[in-house]
This record gives sequence, C-alpha cells and structure tokens, in this order.
Amino acid sequence: MDAFYAAIEQRDRPELRGKPVIIGGSGPRQVVSTASYEARKFGVHSAMPGVRAKQLCPQGIFVVPRMEVYAAVSAQVRAVFDQFTDSVEPLSLDEAFLDVTGSRALFGDGATIAARIKREVKAATGLTVSVGVATSKYVAKVASDLRKPDGLVVVPPGQEREFLAPLPVSRLWGVGPTTQRQLEHAGLRGIADVQSRSEAQLVAAFGNSLGPHLFVLANGLDPREVESDRAARSIGHELTFARDLRDRDEVLGVLLQLAQQVGRRLRQANVRGTVVRLKLRYPDFTTFVRQRKVAPTADDLELHRTASELLDAAWDRRTGVRLLGVTAAGLVDESTPVQGGLFAPAVQKRDQLLKAMDRIRDRHGEGAVRHGVEARRSNPWGPDS
Amino acid sequence: MKILCDRTALQEAVTVVSSVVPAKSTKPILMNLLLRADGEGITLFATDLEMAASVHLDSVKVSKPGVMLLPARETAALLRELSDPTVTLESMDQRCRIESGGGSFVLLGEDPEQYPAEAQVRSGKRIEIPAGRMLGMTQETVFAAAREETRYAINGVLMDAAAGCVRLVATDGRRLAISYENVDTKNEFKVVVPLRALTTLARALPENSKDPLAIEVGDKQIVFTTPRMKLVSQLLETRFPDYEGVLPKAADTTVEIQRAVLEGALRRASILCSAELRMVRFEVGDQSLRMTAESSTRGRADIVVDAVVRGAGGSINFNPDYILEALRQCHLDQVRLDMSDDSMPAKFTLGESFTYVVMPISGA
Repeated sequence: MDAFYAAIEQRDRPELRGKPVIIGGSGPRQVVSTASYEARKFGVHSAMPGVRAKQLCPQGIFVVPRMEVYAAVSAQVRAVFDQFTDSVEPLSLDEAFLDVTGSRALFGDGATIAARIKREVKAATGLTVSVGVATSKYVAKVASDLRKPDGLVVVPPGQEREFLAPLPVSRLWGVGPTTQRQLEHAGLRGIADVQSRSEAQLVAAFGNSLGPHLFVLANGLDPREVESDRAARSIGHELTFARDLRDRDEVLGVLLQLAQQVGRRLRQANVRGTVVRLKLRYPDFTTFVRQRKVAPTADDLELHRTASELLDAAWDRRTGVRLLGVTAAGLVDESTPVQGGLFAPAVQKRDQLLKAMDRIRDRHGEGAVRHGVEARRSNPWGPDS
Repeated sequence: MKILCDRTALQEAVTVVSSVVPAKSTKPILMNLLLRADGEGITLFATDLEMAASVHLDSVKVSKPGVMLLPARETAALLRELSDPTVTLESMDQRCRIESGGGSFVLLGEDPEQYPAEAQVRSGKRIEIPAGRMLGMTQETVFAAAREETRYAINGVLMDAAAGCVRLVATDGRRLAISYENVDTKNEFKVVVPLRALTTLARALPENSKDPLAIEVGDKQIVFTTPRMKLVSQLLETRFPDYEGVLPKAADTTVEIQRAVLEGALRRASILCSAELRMVRFEVGDQSLRMTAESSTRGRADIVVDAVVRGAGGSINFNPDYILEALRQCHLDQVRLDMSDDSMPAKFTLGESFTYVVMPISGA
C-alpha cells in the first residue's frame, strides 16, 4: 500500500489531502511511522525521530495513529487478495506476497491479476497500491517499490538480472549502510557489479553467509516460497514503542491489541495456535522470548491471558519495555479435534462468537465491537504528555 | 544418645520423614532430619518450613536419651543397604555412629539447636476419618491434579468438609476426580491442600487401616495426626474452580460395562492413537460399546464389547489416558458411564463414593 497510514488519514479527513501528513508524534522520543508523499518531499521518512521530522517539515501535520482503523482497512485489502489466491503471506499491515501461480487459469497472467487487484483494492478502500510481478519474492518486492505510488511493474521470467542490473546495491535485502560501504570498498556500487562476480568470488570477499546471499539476490535467484498464513508455522505481531512503557496496565493493553491481531489472523486462516510466544525487548535492546504450550486456540483472550502470564514471569518491571511481540505457533487446522475444558466455554461456541465479532469489525471498523476488558485501556500510541 | 532398634521400622520412618526434606536448599541444615530419643521411644522430625512430618517409634531400646541431626538422604540410603534386622545408633558430639551387619559408619550431623522447631498450630476445626479411607480417597483423586503448566495447575487438592461429609476434589481443568467419606461432625471447612502434602501423607498411611486419622484445619495450616505420625502443611491460598457446577446433572445415555473389559479395550485402542491427539471414539450401540482409534501413520483399532445401555446412544471421544488413569484406582467390577454429547462433561462412577468427570474431545 502507498503511504498506507497517511493515505487512510487523507482519505478520511479531506482537509489533509495534498498536505504533508506525518503519522506519529513530534515529541522527543517519538518516531515517524508513515509520512505522506507530500511530507516525503521534505525528506521525512518512517522510523525518523519525530523531532527531526518537525525540523525538516515545520508545516507537517502530525497525526496520532489509529491502529484499529488501519487494521480494519488492512483486512479489507486482505479480503481482495483472498479472492485471487489462497497463498498470501502478509509482511505487515500494508505489504503482502501473493503466489498466483495456480490462479492464472482462472484470472489471467500475473500482470492481468496485478491490474485487477489494484482496481479492486481501490474500489474497496479508495486507496492505491503498488504491485510488483516477478518469479521470486525478492524481485517482486523490488519491482513493487520502483514506481510508487500507484505503480505496477512486471518483470517477465528470464529478465530478472537485466531488471536488477541498473539498481544500486542498497536495493539488495540486508544491505544497510555498513554493508553498503563494505561493498563499495570492494568496488561494487550497482547490482550489475555484483552480478559480474562469481559466487566463489563473493564468498571469498564477503564470507560464507553474506557472499551466497548477495549472489542469489543479485541474480534474481531468490528460491523462497510464499508462505501463506495457512502453511505458516507461526503468526505473530510485534510493536516498538515511541517511548518505553513502564506501566503494567499499559503493557497489558498493548498485549491485548497484539493478541487480537494475532487471533484475527488465526481465524482468517482457519487455524489455531498450540504455542503462545511472548517477545520482550528492553531499552538496552536485550530481548527475551518466552513461550508456553496451550490447548489449540484462536481466542484473543486466551492468547492475551497466556501472554500476560508469560510477561509477568519475565518482566521484572524495573525497566521499561521497548518492544512487545505476541506470536501463535504450532498451528493446527481449526477442524482438528480439541480436548474440551471443564471450566471453559465450549471451543465451538467461543469460535462462533469471535467470528461474529470479526464480521462486525469487517463491516463497521475495528472499534465497533470490543472485549469487555479493553474499554479501560489507554491508547499507548497517544502523544507524550 | 544411644538407641537400638528394628532396622526396617526405622527405615520406614526415615523414608516417610525424608520425603519432606528438600532435594536442594539455600539452608543446608534443612537437608537433615532430627532424631529425638527419650523414655517413650524415638521421634523423627523433618521440615522444609512449608511442611513438617514427624513419626514416632516406641519399640526402641533407648539406652541414653538425647537429640541429634542426621543427613537425611544418606541415612535413608544407608538403612536400606544394611543387612542386619537391628541397628544401633550412637551420637558423639554432632557425629552419629551406626553399627549393624555390613560395617560401621559415621554420619556427620549438625547442631540440633539450629534446626527449626516444630511450628505450633493454633487449634482449628477437627474431623476424624479412618486412616485407610483417607489413603483410598487420596489415591482416588491426586492423579487427576494438574502437574504441568496450565491455568488449573494449582498443585493442590480441595478438601471440602460440609454436612457430615468430607470430599477430596482434584482437577487439571479437563477431568475431575471426587472421592468422599461420611464423617460424624458438624465442622465445615473448604481448603486447598498442597499435592505434595497429600502424597507424603499417602506414603505414611497403612492400607485398609481402621485407625483414626485426625484432620485439623487452622487458619493457614492443616494437621494430619495418627497415633504414630503427624504431618503439618501450609494450606494453599489458590482459588479452586467451582467443581459442583461441572458435575453433570443428567445424561442422554448410560452405559454399564465390566471394568476389566473397558480397561483392556482402552489399553489396546490407545496403542493406535495419533501422537498429536490421543483420542478414542466411543460409539454406543444396542447393548454394545464400540471403541475405535486411528493414527494416520501407524494404523487403527476397532474393538466392540458388550455393555448394558440405556438411553439414546450416540458417540463421544475421549483421551484414553484420562480414563485409564482413573480405572487404575477403581475397585468395582462394573463401572458406569453417563454421557451426553461432546460439549458436555461425561461422568464415570468408579466406586460407591468415587466419581470421575471427563470433558470429551470435541469437533472430531
């Protein structure tokens, strides 16, 4: 999706259209989560400190994110994807890989499907999406980024190398500023330079890990399959905070939102998790992962309960929390029989209730129906006071 | 201090008391047990500060009274390995010399003055039941208590005394065992006893004994007393789930079946359950019960046995391990199953005062 959060705000608030919109706060510890294309002209980009964004673009309009709205729109977009293939691998709320290999007989070739997806997303949400079509995930991703916004770039089979050749090495996955300097030092500025080296040369120059990685990507040989939700081994969400969270209630509130996102995706994929995993990162970047086996569940509140118990066991509360993640793993199909609980409501009844809630949210937005425990939670993305 | 006593009797007493001794402790003195010899025999005592056990032996010749601390694990192991029917223990300072067939041994103890004293229990509500019955009730319930990490892993068993009846209730959230005994008292209490206290108690109680066991419940402690033994334990402050709410009041189908037949069939069927989900399907037919299991990788089982059936019939799925564990504690020839559908708990009647409730597997 193109400048997803900002585009939604501009869609919903006409007075923001054509203006530099920055999603996130301008406070000292806040970061930009998305900038509209108008704001990007000033050099504002995501993950930039809010203070810096304010300096670059004083007239920028800072907007507090409405995650539940973005998640609802994301679900609408996902529903469009699902019409074309059952192999969808979401990367985030606004990015996904689709494997349409098996859908071509029904809908036409990749370019045709891409054009239809763009039309239908626009019709469903009023938003534009940029699409890349290629034989591998990496090339498709690069193609989708090339003509944003509202782009459609098709890389025909066999032309991956030609397509990648003119691009700078920074377009290679995993090549950040440090690696880029390393590559430039070795005389590699563009992807074409990398293509001119053999795998053995790259291994000799950059080691057993980075060498083969560069070779595979630069030559468009990325072999990874699209891992659809259904086949995925886990479904998870995580969130980094603009300011470290210290208040337990606030942290539990975030866990609930994460648990709901995970639960929602489990139900969309018709699977249940048998392992709940909590990821916890402190301000000094030490990271803990704790997990526990559970009876198969796609229930937001079950996920939240287990994640909360894991949190209480792991978090000493002396330091703030920088990042939280909730993941459901050990996925099983929802038709797998389940050992019932004596003191728990029947799983099937709970399923019906949650799926009914999902349908209401699909139609009326994420906030339309909530669990009772949510009402008193504050919004952790709110501006610093 | 010097005593001469029956080795087996001493070994049994040491074993009971040692089960309280922690495997590891930040207070090394707790790795010991206390032995006190006086005109009435000897008393062994051990505590981990949450639980304390003492056992009295009177068939002992005390030639010199006194107190000493013995390393619990080594003492128990040594007594097991000695060969003579009798054993002599003599203390010198904080050392203990043990003489018996097989050699002479010295165990290094510690200062008995430093060992925690037996906590004084403020008197509470008291009931009495036959010791053998308490053992039976414990065996009929503790296996159903949760040991793993689940929401109901309270590591305890509910003891509910009300209206002239004392009940033990244990559950892991998926199955629940209840065993009760009528008692002649108006005292009422409802407490959660640590699982460990009950398993220690069970080890100390003789089978089929008609001797009275006194149970006294105070504010935070419970005390079990027989003429020979006393066990004190902290109570758990966990909330126990509402067990009465899940007892099925009515059932669509009732099946009566020979216990041995059911147990044999389930053991055979359970061999071919799938590894991910242990499940046996019960199909109630016309005076028969069919049990099937299937593993996609290893095969299938199909067993039909005679049963007395009343009601609608139908089918229901269970984890066979849950039923087998309970049948192991069942002494009836004939057991009874009351069942409805897979959203309702099923009830097994496994004894005159032994009821077992199992939640079926749903969605199969």
